[in-house]
Amino acid sequence: MAKQPIPLVDTDIHERVQYRELLEYLDEPFRHYISNCHWLQEKHMPYTQPSIAGVDRADAIVPDGRPAGSDLAFMQEQLLDDVGHEFGILTGALDPSPSSMHGWHEMAAALASAYNNWQIDKWLDKDERLYGSVHVAAQDRDEAVTEIERVGSHPKMVQVLLPIDDIMWGDPYYHPIFEAAEKHNLMIGMHHNEPPIYYGKWPRYFIEWHTLIPTAHMKQVTNMIFNGVFDKFPNLGLIMIEGGFTFIPHMMWKMDQQYRDLRHEVPWLKRKPSDIMKKQIRFCTQPSEELSKKDFTSLLEQMGTDEMICFATDYPHWDYDSPYRALPNLDPELKKKIFYENAKNFYPKIPNTREGYHEGTSCL
Amino acid sequence: MKEQVVCKTSDIQPGEMKESIFGKQNVLICRTPDGNFYAFMNQCVHQGAPLDKGMMCGANTSQSEPGNYHHCRKGEIIRCPWHGREFDIKNEGRMLANPEKKLPSFKVRVEDENVILYK
Ligand code: FES
Repeated sequence: MAKQPIPLVDTDIHERVQYRELLEYLDEPFRHYISNCHWLQEKHMPYTQPSIAGVDRADAIVPDGRPAGSDLAFMQEQLLDDVGHEFGILTGALDPSPSSMHGWHEMAAALASAYNNWQIDKWLDKDERLYGSVHVAAQDRDEAVTEIERVGSHPKMVQVLLPIDDIMWGDPYYHPIFEAAEKHNLMIGMHHNEPPIYYGKWPRYFIEWHTLIPTAHMKQVTNMIFNGVFDKFPNLGLIMIEGGFTFIPHMMWKMDQQYRDLRHEVPWLKRKPSDIMKKQIRFCTQPSEELSKKDFTSLLEQMGTDEMICFATDYPHWDYDSPYRALPNLDPELKKKIFYENAKNFYPKIPNTREGYHEGTSCL
Repeated sequence: MKEQVVCKTSDIQPGEMKESIFGKQNVLICRTPDGNFYAFMNQCVHQGAPLDKGMMCGANTSQSEPGNYHHCRKGEIIRCPWHGREFDIKNEGRMLANPEKKLPSFKVRVEDENVILYK
């Protein structure tokens, strides 16, 4: 049975770099640290891999053996052409992840710049459907601002990516990052890396950790709202990537009630949190629970809007959501919003049609 | 009765699986370590992943106690290449975590060197 293409803005696609590919974009001594000193970012998730190909879909491994997500042609064949994407937002860089470096900010900043150049060169300039994320070493605030100033005006960069690890980004210390993003019409995308969800430690099982990832997303949303980021930067939007969406009504009710009681502590908040969420915060649907149509509809009613959630596949990861199967059957109008319009309306730099982007407009 | 040769017995070693075509359907032929053949639709009942890209393996059984793994059934379980759901080849393709769900299956018989699917 031939599949019907679904108009889609896919808000979470993980392209993947291999360390050796970054070398040509790195200056010395950072290139030396990778090529001669074999530097690798330390990762230590203390579990068995969730699925049979680690954190990837087993069928997404490139046929020549390279890791999933590392080859544009294969991604085009398996995802973009197969589903018929209008647009896709790249959110890669989980390894190495510049913002998740412990210390050694110089290396983190160098990696971020190299990664951005590689991303533009190998992906954004090569497929008109793909839009990108500015990677920054956000723990070094001033370097992050410099990097946003450097690549933020690229026509296909649509957001600044901040990791959910152990830094709460709403702290006024980091506001210059938001100021720079807003200046360039960039949204903020937050994606977890290895968030501590368990009192700063790892739970015994991956299934516990993965179940509780939304709590790490909830912490960042709460922190960004009560630190007044959204009134201070009224044109800034935040999209929470890969935390799911079923917790949204709880957050809205809880924060509104807390605000009514405790406003005196955060007087810079001019609107109730749920209004801020409706206007300036979006949530990717993946990884979706298996909701019935009735439950899904009732959840949207509880949110009071059908404009807050955006479909994402998370290709090529193991918990990929199929655009055909992940959500219940929705009415065409609602489906169009969740798969296409909500994300399109959120990102100011995504054009109305693909013809809206002209190659060669890069100002780098 | 519709029937069709889908492969030769020598095409699949015990413990391996392979996709094939039965009529218009993409099917998965599994050969368990005891040498027997089984056939299922080559599409996961969850979100439709191609099961031939998954793995035939063992499983930690429901006899496991907290903190104590009981692993067996080597080569009798299909694990999906996407979200990792496990299906029991020798129990009608039933999902381990929810046995009410199962992979649609096909009847198989072996004649000479031929593996034949029929309805
Ligand atoms: S598609 Fe097979 S487990 Fe989800």
